[in-house]
Amino acid sequence: MDRRDFLKTTSVTVTALSLSKFVEVGCERPPEAPTGPAPTGTWLDRQRAKWTWDKTYFVTHPQDCYPGNCSWVGYVKNGVFWREEQTGRYPVVDPSTPDWNPRGCQKGCMYSRVTYGKERIKYPMRRVGPRGSGKWQKISWDEALSEVADAIIDATEEQGPESVIVDEQPGQGGAFPHGVYPPLRFVALLGGTMLDANGIINDYNIGQYMTFGKFHGVSSQDDWFKAELTLIWLMNPVYTRIPAYHFVAESRYNGGEVWTIAPDFSPSAGHADRYVPLKIGSDAAFALGVAHVLIEEKLYNADFVREQTDLPLLVREDNKRYLRESDLKKGGNEEQLYVWDEKGKKLAQAPRTKLALGKVVPALEGSYRVKLADGTEVVVRPVFDILRARLEAEYGLDKVHAITGIHPDVVRNLAQKMAAKRTNILVGWCPPKIYHGDLMERAMCLCLGLTGNWGRRGTGVRGWTVLADMSIYTMPTRSGGSNDFADTVTELGRLVTALEKKHPGITEEDAHIELENIFCKLIGQVPPVFFWYHHAGYREVWNRKEWGDTAMKRTFDEYLQEAVDKGWWDNYVRPAPQIEPRVYILCGSNVLRRTRGAPKRLLEHLWPKLKKVVVVDVRMSTSALYADVVLPAAFFYEKAQLHSITSPHLRYWAFADKAIEPVHESKNEWDIFALLAKKVAERAQERGKKEYRLRQVVDINKIIDAFIPPGILGKIGDKLVRGKALKELQGFYGPTRTWENLHKRFTANGHYNAGDGEKLFDDALVILRKGGTVGSDTTLEKLRKTGFVKYTGLGRTPHGLNVATDVKPNETVNPFSWHTQKKIPYPTYARRAQFYIDHPWFIEGGEELPVFKEVPKAGGQHPFIMTSGHLRWSIHSSNVANEFALGLHRGEPFMFVNALDAKEKGIGDGGYVRVFNDVDEFTVQAKVSALPRRGQVIIYHAWDPYQFKGWRSYDTAIPGMVKWLHLAGGYGQFRFWVWNWQPCQSDRHIFVDLEPVRVA
Amino acid sequence: MKEDWKPLRQLAMVIDLNKCIGCQTCTVACKTLWTDEEGMEHMYWNSVNTQPGRGTPRDWEGMGGGFENDVPRAGRLPSISEFGDVPRYDYERVFSEGHGEKEFLRPKKRPDWMFNWDEDQGAGVFPNSYFFYLPRLCNHCTYPACAEACPIKAISKRKEDGIVLIDQDKCKGYRFCMEACPYKKIYYNYVTRTSQKCIFCFPRVDKGVAQACARQCPGRVRFVGYLDDERGPIHRLVNQWKVALPLHPEYGTEANIYYVPPIGPLRNTEDGNFDPSQPRIPTEYLVSLFGANVKPAIETLQTEMDKRRRGEKSELLEILIGWRWPDDFFSHLTKDPVEAGGGLS
Repeated sequence: MDRRDFLKTTSVTVTALSLSKFVEVGCERPPEAPTGPAPTGTWLDRQRAKWTWDKTYFVTHPQDCYPGNCSWVGYVKNGVFWREEQTGRYPVVDPSTPDWNPRGCQKGCMYSRVTYGKERIKYPMRRVGPRGSGKWQKISWDEALSEVADAIIDATEEQGPESVIVDEQPGQGGAFPHGVYPPLRFVALLGGTMLDANGIINDYNIGQYMTFGKFHGVSSQDDWFKAELTLIWLMNPVYTRIPAYHFVAESRYNGGEVWTIAPDFSPSAGHADRYVPLKIGSDAAFALGVAHVLIEEKLYNADFVREQTDLPLLVREDNKRYLRESDLKKGGNEEQLYVWDEKGKKLAQAPRTKLALGKVVPALEGSYRVKLADGTEVVVRPVFDILRARLEAEYGLDKVHAITGIHPDVVRNLAQKMAAKRTNILVGWCPPKIYHGDLMERAMCLCLGLTGNWGRRGTGVRGWTVLADMSIYTMPTRSGGSNDFADTVTELGRLVTALEKKHPGITEEDAHIELENIFCKLIGQVPPVFFWYHHAGYREVWNRKEWGDTAMKRTFDEYLQEAVDKGWWDNYVRPAPQIEPRVYILCGSNVLRRTRGAPKRLLEHLWPKLKKVVVVDVRMSTSALYADVVLPAAFFYEKAQLHSITSPHLRYWAFADKAIEPVHESKNEWDIFALLAKKVAERAQERGKKEYRLRQVVDINKIIDAFIPPGILGKIGDKLVRGKALKELQGFYGPTRTWENLHKRFTANGHYNAGDGEKLFDDALVILRKGGTVGSDTTLEKLRKTGFVKYTGLGRTPHGLNVATDVKPNETVNPFSWHTQKKIPYPTYARRAQFYIDHPWFIEGGEELPVFKEVPKAGGQHPFIMTSGHLRWSIHSSNVANEFALGLHRGEPFMFVNALDAKEKGIGDGGYVRVFNDVDEFTVQAKVSALPRRGQVIIYHAWDPYQFKGWRSYDTAIPGMVKWLHLAGGYGQFRFWVWNWQPCQSDRHIFVDLEPVRVA
Repeated sequence: MKEDWKPLRQLAMVIDLNKCIGCQTCTVACKTLWTDEEGMEHMYWNSVNTQPGRGTPRDWEGMGGGFENDVPRAGRLPSISEFGDVPRYDYERVFSEGHGEKEFLRPKKRPDWMFNWDEDQGAGVFPNSYFFYLPRLCNHCTYPACAEACPIKAISKRKEDGIVLIDQDKCKGYRFCMEACPYKKIYYNYVTRTSQKCIFCFPRVDKGVAQACARQCPGRVRFVGYLDDERGPIHRLVNQWKVALPLHPEYGTEANIYYVPPIGPLRNTEDGNFDPSQPRIPTEYLVSLFGANVKPAIETLQTEMDKRRRGEKSELLEILIGWRWPDDFFSHLTKDPVEAGGGLS
């Protein structure tokens, strides 16, 4: 046959083809698209010429894409950043696992297009109409900075510097020396208010924190390959862990089994071996059913349980509190807890300085009579025994079936497998966003604890952590230079030694946590919860008990008042209730997108108090649209830095070189804030202002004394550590500050001015070298040549120490081996993995042990539950409104609706629905799908509100509840330190209704 | 004649659907490299669709083309609306023209289809919903219907590796190839007024570098190499283990993109138990895509996975795991693109 046969078979002739119908897809091209000289030769040559470039750079995308660190090559052609392709050069780490290449995803592959996107902010702008009116005036950088500087000076004069607020938002631009770091440094030196990152984003695995005293149990992703059983649970790694999902797929081919446990047939269920379709919010009941079987069938690992967990600790039957030494003798240690030694048939102290039990064999079951100091007798029982009885009574498999919809056989099957297999739970940051997500995580951890599934390769549960947190360390710099940074590290080491001396028995990890706690007080880093409560209108929302925990015996107000009165949150209620917030600086922070319930709360309650909303960003965000001054920031390829969200989740940290000059009139963040510091000093001088006082004064002497009393280090130690530390801290964070010093200190006495970002970065690398995290030859110059660096250790920062494990060059990293192998205690009240929390509030709320609690009716009595997760198509909102990116799905926000529900409601695929509840309403396109369960609607975030009618996104229908119990304090791990213990907003499981609508 | 098209060697690709997570990194990698130009906006030479689904162009499986018993089958030209829209937006109007909240960012013209429109819609009734991701590109067919259909012989198949190319100097834009291609993976460029499609990254291949869609795949889903290279993964998966199958073999073109079929999780019963009595992804559906050979392919895969779970070795799974990138994936195309220096060097 030949071509004529084909012509015969076709009904269309050449002339019938209309060219015009193809023209309608025509569009404007960004003027920056690379063109170059007209290619010559045959079309083959022209095609080959397309795949050419002038220069390549190693780049990455230093934003809060955890753990990110994908090394890319940027191809620059005719001065334009043309495209990116993964470097693909990570050497093999662990020979028994597949390698890490070619780490990346579709977002990383399109930032060349976002770089020239139409959503980029081009030049500094001043609002000339009402807020949100879209009326702007282009202004010069000098005018813009003067306006911001004056607003800061005015606010400080009128309300004190704490009325100047900045979000510690990981944002768009990295963390050091750009992105979030410069504004934090600026506001810390000013004496302003810095809202804690985890408080505002809520990726805080609080149930893990309650259990382990930290949520940082992060293994390297290649360790996932080693799991024999992978449970994808409250996570959607097919969307959110694109660069690493292959380790799961490969593990399945290597004999591992993968289960996905989710209310919807989630995108991550497709590649599982088993799918568990549990009812929305019933996860804790399911896990407790598994725990029930583990105990009932005696499948638990008794040795692990005795040594690593609090399950053998004795609890008094009369008051549900632990048995303490202070109960047994007058003046006894309140923190000393007990076990019942089966061998010696007597009480034995649970060791606090190590986990190893020696000859003691703690009883797990039974009840025992104990005589207290006052002569009374009480019955005590091990936590395990209480737990066993509770599980038997309340989590029988039929009952679990009724709550979860999951058959007893499945629960039993999973328990048996967990007991026999190295089990890794891939949990995401969904639990913290669920009101009772803490209980879900505690119950999951309980299953792992009973089966000894952490501290070994291929096991564990996920949180997140960063290493080598340079931003905190480099805050106080005196004169610049790498020696200055090196001194900071040395001094910190001395402080830790001092703390360990003061409190014999505390671990290095504990000491670092204490230091972080102190440091937060000094720099004004606070949980945002009090800010929202006092200044942003959340008080009335949080007091709606029916939207939260119905077990609350008192009002939210009363709990908050008690927490504050008891001093649990001293120095963290900031700005103080009587201070009016005046200036809000948002650097890469889209607060009106991210904050749950933002339009109803922030816009209506906070915005009117603010005199100046300043947005520094690469792109127009909804927050920028409601701002007063908008400043264009340089994007990923326009400045040099390490991907600072460094993490043990992977083994290589990627470097981002400056491949092109900042586009339009943008500047990098270091330059912006160095110039602002200078402008503030200039304007203050012009206005005759010299000095200002802080309204809320942190007593530095008191803080230092509490931790390092004079004399404890001897004379020399006093001079070297106490003297130096005090002097330093007084200098930087004292109650009286000058405008001139703000500029001097920001620039380390002129050492790092605008334009010196690279010098600052290169100097600060000494922290990584000295901390033992990277090789001694790691410099900016070397990073430029290699594109990435392999870490050699986790460093001596709290977040690195929290991982509590040793890094070996050719093995995967798995956390908590210091606990399981070296027997170092956990940083919890019980010094063990803690499942029983005897804080009075937990007993009051019925949560001393993990339990199942009903999904609160947040949003009111409505038939649908709205769930969420990260969108496949964007990292937060960084590229969500980019034209190139929008072309890859439906071109606008959409919400998944179950096909049968849609039919019943008359909702057509692609049609609009109005989604409403007692909080608010929004309109969105419906995507009819077989994946959600009935009664569930799923909207993945983070669409920008300006993509919705009236700029009201799904966030507007979310009340933004926080759980009262998370205000508890004065108890072991329950105290704030950076990114830790604090109430955060929930946004999942919102009750809504929907109806089809037409949109004009 | 059929034999006339046969190349000396055929470069082929295997895509493992058990590893594909539908992220479209391949799509983006291809687009930024080859089709981000005026006249090519609607082109996704590589695309990934959720199956079951209508795909791109919409309902392409019903448009004919290819051969039936070696006789050409009538084919239809997909319309631009079937390829789907590439929406454009008026950013200024939302950001800075003073309309405030009255204007929101949305397509200037609301699309009713786009290439990835039916992403994650799937099929079945919850909890027995099912779906999987299917990446598609030009199949560089052994018996290219497109080339047969071209009245001016602008389409050739390279002798050395079987890559099918549309000569852009010769093409007159008649688009018979678009009608004839049963996979509907040829697009019309309205600026150059020529037909265009995946070139299998020949400039890269000629320099020893794997195709962008393959090399940039973070899921490590794609293998490339010569079909007759007995030591390479393609031959072993396609011919030796017979677990990689062409899409719609009944189209008669002998496609050279092969797929490892997906194995979904067990089904669920009404009362929340597992139901191993039948597969979640209906076998007849997979047969409709990959032909009857999909049954033994799945059996082989399952047997080998069971073996591995019992702790035994599986040569097949060793290949599919792909221990070392790029060596275990790309055969002779393992060169680093930066070192290769680009298409003209």
